[in-house]
Amino acid sequence: MILVFRLAWRNLWRHPRRTWLTIGAMMFSNMLLVFMISLQFGMYGLMIDNSLQAFTGHMQIQAPGYKDDQRMRQTVADIVPLSDLLRRELGSDDIAARASAFALVSSDERSYGIAVFGVEPEFEVNVSTIPGLIGEGRYLGDNAATEIVIGAALARNLRVKLGAELTLLGSGLDGSFAAAVVTIVGIFDSGLAEIDRSIVEIPLGLFQDVFYMRGAGHLVVINAPVIDDVAELQIRVNALLPAGHDLVVHDWDALQPGLKQAIRADISSSFFMYGILVILVAFSVLNTQLMSVLERTHEFGIVMALGLTPGRLAWLVLLETAIMGVLGLLLGALLGALVTYYFSINGFAYPGMAEMAAKFNLPARFFPQITVLTLLIGPIVVYLFTMLSALYPALRLHRLHPVAAMRAV
Amino acid sequence: MTAVRCVDLCKTYRQGDENIKALDHVSIEIDAGGFVCLSAPSGGGKTTLLNAIGGLDKPDSGEVYIAGQRIDNLSKGERANLRLRQIGFVFQAFNLIPVLTARENVEFVMQVQGVPADDRGKKALATLEEVGLAGLEDRLPADMSGGQQQRVAVARAIVSRPALVLADEPTANLDSKTADGLIELFRVLNERHSTTFVIATHDQRVMSYAKRLISMLDGRIVDDIEQNAT
Amino acid sequence: MHMVGILTTLAWRNLWRNHRRTLIMLAAVILGTWAMIFMTALMRGMVTQMIQDGISALPGHIQVHHPEYRDDPSVANLISISDTELAAKFEAADIAHWATRVRVPAVITSEYESRGITLLGVDPDRERGLTFVDYDEVEGRFLESTEDTGIVIGKKLAKMLNTRVGKRVVVMSQDPDNEIADRGFRVVGLFTANVSAFEEAFIFAGKSTTQKLLRIDDQVSELIVFGDDYRNVEALYDKVSAIVDSRVEVRRWFEVDAYLGAMLTIMDGFVFVWIIVIFLALSFGLVNTLVMAVFERVREIGLMLALGMKPVYILGQIIIESMMLLVIGLVLGTALSWAAIQPIKDGIDISIVGEGLDMWGMSSVLYPDLLLRDVILANVVVLVLGFFASLAPAWRAAHYEPVAALTKV
Repeated sequence: MILVFRLAWRNLWRHPRRTWLTIGAMMFSNMLLVFMISLQFGMYGLMIDNSLQAFTGHMQIQAPGYKDDQRMRQTVADIVPLSDLLRRELGSDDIAARASAFALVSSDERSYGIAVFGVEPEFEVNVSTIPGLIGEGRYLGDNAATEIVIGAALARNLRVKLGAELTLLGSGLDGSFAAAVVTIVGIFDSGLAEIDRSIVEIPLGLFQDVFYMRGAGHLVVINAPVIDDVAELQIRVNALLPAGHDLVVHDWDALQPGLKQAIRADISSSFFMYGILVILVAFSVLNTQLMSVLERTHEFGIVMALGLTPGRLAWLVLLETAIMGVLGLLLGALLGALVTYYFSINGFAYPGMAEMAAKFNLPARFFPQITVLTLLIGPIVVYLFTMLSALYPALRLHRLHPVAAMRAV
Repeated sequence: MTAVRCVDLCKTYRQGDENIKALDHVSIEIDAGGFVCLSAPSGGGKTTLLNAIGGLDKPDSGEVYIAGQRIDNLSKGERANLRLRQIGFVFQAFNLIPVLTARENVEFVMQVQGVPADDRGKKALATLEEVGLAGLEDRLPADMSGGQQQRVAVARAIVSRPALVLADEPTANLDSKTADGLIELFRVLNERHSTTFVIATHDQRVMSYAKRLISMLDGRIVDDIEQNAT
Repeated sequence: MHMVGILTTLAWRNLWRNHRRTLIMLAAVILGTWAMIFMTALMRGMVTQMIQDGISALPGHIQVHHPEYRDDPSVANLISISDTELAAKFEAADIAHWATRVRVPAVITSEYESRGITLLGVDPDRERGLTFVDYDEVEGRFLESTEDTGIVIGKKLAKMLNTRVGKRVVVMSQDPDNEIADRGFRVVGLFTANVSAFEEAFIFAGKSTTQKLLRIDDQVSELIVFGDDYRNVEALYDKVSAIVDSRVEVRRWFEVDAYLGAMLTIMDGFVFVWIIVIFLALSFGLVNTLVMAVFERVREIGLMLALGMKPVYILGQIIIESMMLLVIGLVLGTALSWAAIQPIKDGIDISIVGEGLDMWGMSSVLYPDLLLRDVILANVVVLVLGFFASLAPAWRAAHYEPVAALTKV
């Protein structure tokens, strides 16, 4: 075995330039794959986390149909007792009830129609990043206080400052006229105009009063410790739902179906591109190994005349390829890890990315994360295709006839 | 008139740990129209001398003159041009460009010289006929015998009427009958066009055709005789 | 010049001497070229569609607003522009597609629900073909005049509001004095949009009706202007700037929507990077092929040099050989891309990831966009870089010592 290995190794270095060029092709694509995949998966993770943590949460309990239509009447009755029960039973504080209604929010000068959310101030901090983004003032305190927090962009458009009063006009659950005057106690700045302009929050108690909710709300947000635990937690939540209530539990994929699909669309187009890259490398290997077999026809003829079977020779060729492949894999993964490491420290950006990133709640610079998966998946696929492409040259040896082969120059 | 003049040529190669003197103070003069054999055992220096005369290789010291012009101090490009226009070459093997037909091989040198296509074609055909290959113009080297291939090489060497043709072991890969034919051809061409031939060989039969036989050993000329060629 | 013929012959015949190697390399070049062009066409198609959808939502290649409108898009920041005067000036400037419109935030309320939306007061005749609404696809009818008292809303919004054609809704906004301005409208039509988010966000009313509602006389929020090509709006920008007075702000579409604008930059960058990456992956094989070709031809090269051929011609011969390989590959690859695009020219349905694409702002039917510019870019990049990649092996071939090369076994 050692001898065969030594033979393969020496054969490779008979043409160092050719061998290095072939390994170079592997290294190049491995490096690229490691970097790109680390970047992408890091980005997806951020996309999911940022999108969900801002407001949506990992799962929500809602009335059936609310997810699609968000009608005022699609309520969850006795919502606070329900969220209390869940917090108690699950032993988690990452659970908060919400209600929502559209209302005309007016300052002295301006009016905007937006979604007003009623939240449990005490627990909302655990399921949304908005409470933590208060730049001016404070977050909501008392559950019944006539207080409101709004986004910085909306404050600008309403031309109001901290402490100003806003009028809310809308319709209550029963269709009646609903109105309230609230004081701005906090202004949050998420950096995303979309969120800053479209969300205002008041205490849930106040909301239920103003909109005649009679104890009802619209959803309970539940966060799992980590996103991978969502499925398991969903089962437990389902079991805890009160009997006789018509309620459903949606996980984040159901709540934001776009998120997974956006990622899937991105994955499928980029994996198509990676596929092309891998096939090009495979062509390179095929070319090299075929040449290396053809130019050794004479030599192979001699050793076959000495009694070596074509099968053994095929293994030799495959072993040579395997050595090249392993070198390409190790060096490429190393190079890719170095490049990725550099960017994971310094961040990665390209022109136009900031605008695009903002649309997906992402920072303007990405810091790719290397994991064992992102480090190895690309190089291993390249390696497999490398071995696959060596099959043809290796199997060709079976057609070799010793006497004819020896005559070849 | 002197076709080739070498003055005190020296050339040393390193092989392994040894210094090999391929040319050791060699001086010769070859008259125009000569038919000269350089004979030496393998490693005797004949190829080195031939390469020095043809400007393929530079001697370490000494001077080489072709038709009165000193060539050993010329640049690479100038020497290439000299080979192209004034010297014909026939090598031991691998004489032809494999992807070109017999005619194209013969035309090749003229093409590089910039001879117009019509002229080129006519000359190539005539020369191929002269070396006895009429009808084989369009064959690729791989489809011809060794002797035929060497004839193509000869045709190529003489087609632009160089004053000097250098041949390095031209018969080495040929059977004796074919070799005789090739040397006969050299003689005929030598007589007909007064082309100077310098042939490096260790083939006895070739030597017997030579008008002048120069023998070398270990890079030195050990014998230089005029002889009546058979 | 006289050498070109012979060098070409030599290069061509040498190319097919080892036809297996050449074919493998050719396959790689074809695949690479196809990947470059086809993939670029798909991505371009996506982005083009996205930009066009985006522009139709803005809408307009050029927009004119009150200077304050950008930060405060409300009824307070209007412009006084007379349609009659504009009509004359635009006609003189040969601009056919333009419209003025009122655009304000508002609340729409059905008997069950309220939603915050953007109310567009439009001139239906002027806007035909400019916005994202296809008048003929509207369920019910689109608006008929600026005085139309009906309202057209999105299908998705109608579902949320639980309303339908023929039902009444109330639209509430504010006038410039911050007085509530509201009136009832009959829903006369439901529109569908390529990007489903538009169906929730916009409602259409007659321009005059809206102006009356908001008590703003004949003031408007914006002037929108369309040219022929969204890629080239500078001339249009200059014309429009010259026509309107200096108290308004004229902006190009990519200034209005930075995300859309960034997409163009990102796309151009992507196309270039993708082409370079594919080329690099190919280049290893290309150089390898040439190195092998030179290597096995050392003796012939020595012969040609010995016969007095200048080294530069050897160099030329190898380069021509490489260029021939690339040109054949490029021609076939380009043809293949063109052929691959034919069956999907009329669009491919990728609605399987539709909501994800919505998130990216893309529609779920993809129309490949084969730009001559990209085809030329791919071909030129491969040829130019291929030339440089071939220089090294060619240079090596040209600098053999004839004697050494001739005697090499």
